[in-house]
Amino acid sequence: MSWLHAYLLVALLLFCIGLYGLVQRRSLIGMLIALELMLAAVSLNVVAITSLSGSSSSVGQVVALILIGVAAAEGAIALSLFVAIQREVQSINVEDLSELKG
Amino acid sequence: MNWNGFLFGASAALALIGGLFAVGLKNIFHNILGFALSLVGVAGLFLTLGSDFLAIVLLLVYVGALGIAMVYAVMLSQPLDTPRTPRSLPKVLGSALLAAVVAMALWLVIRGARFPEWNGVLQVTPQFTGWRLLTDYVLAFELISILLVVAMIGAVMVARRDPAKRRPPAGGGAKAAP
Repeated sequence: MSWLHAYLLVALLLFCIGLYGLVQRRSLIGMLIALELMLAAVSLNVVAITSLSGSSSSVGQVVALILIGVAAAEGAIALSLFVAIQREVQSINVEDLSELKG
Repeated sequence: MNWNGFLFGASAALALIGGLFAVGLKNIFHNILGFALSLVGVAGLFLTLGSDFLAIVLLLVYVGALGIAMVYAVMLSQPLDTPRTPRSLPKVLGSALLAAVVAMALWLVIRGARFPEWNGVLQVTPQFTGWRLLTDYVLAFELISILLVVAMIGAVMVARRDPAKRRPPAGGGAKAAP
């Protein structure tokens, strides 16, 4: 097993921890945390593959930087939505947010 | 034991233990602390990959900005001392099963893939990354700045209290009085 496989295994475990949290949590903030963990695992994957496969272009760095920017924008929007939802519904538990259920 | 291997093992352990804290603990504040711990581990992994600049940016954006914003959101929304209903066991088992199945499938894909052989770590300087960002990837760079501005303005507009609703309804009643 090479170094690359070790990095990919760590990223895989982190991604699946995030997936487990995203499915299982009921608090919106907990789900956002799990989602950000998954995004971090993806950027770790990209950087590990580009730096350990000997390509001299820094495309992995660029992709990871863009991913971090998208994650920051997503987190800002999501957190402000949570605050607005809390103001309207008095809860950020997903099981209470079922107004559209028929 | 060589230094790079030690740094890799410590960072990987930190990332995975932090990730388990971030999804496993019941207190949402402890989840945020575990998230920060996990991202410190990921930044350490970036260091072992020769991407110093990326590690620093990750620490700044995730651990610094996003962690603080999450703490603010918790304080503004969910009181920490409200009683929490216990997690239902079938849902926990189902989620764990889903995660395990996805992990097995992805691991099979990784084992089956062929990666080019290379045993060194490529050092990428921040100068080179910045030069690439402003030449080959300049469109993505500009788009990400527009996205950040839009997200920031949108966040302010969404989270702002509506000024029409904040006006006290008693004003109309006082005007109606003779």
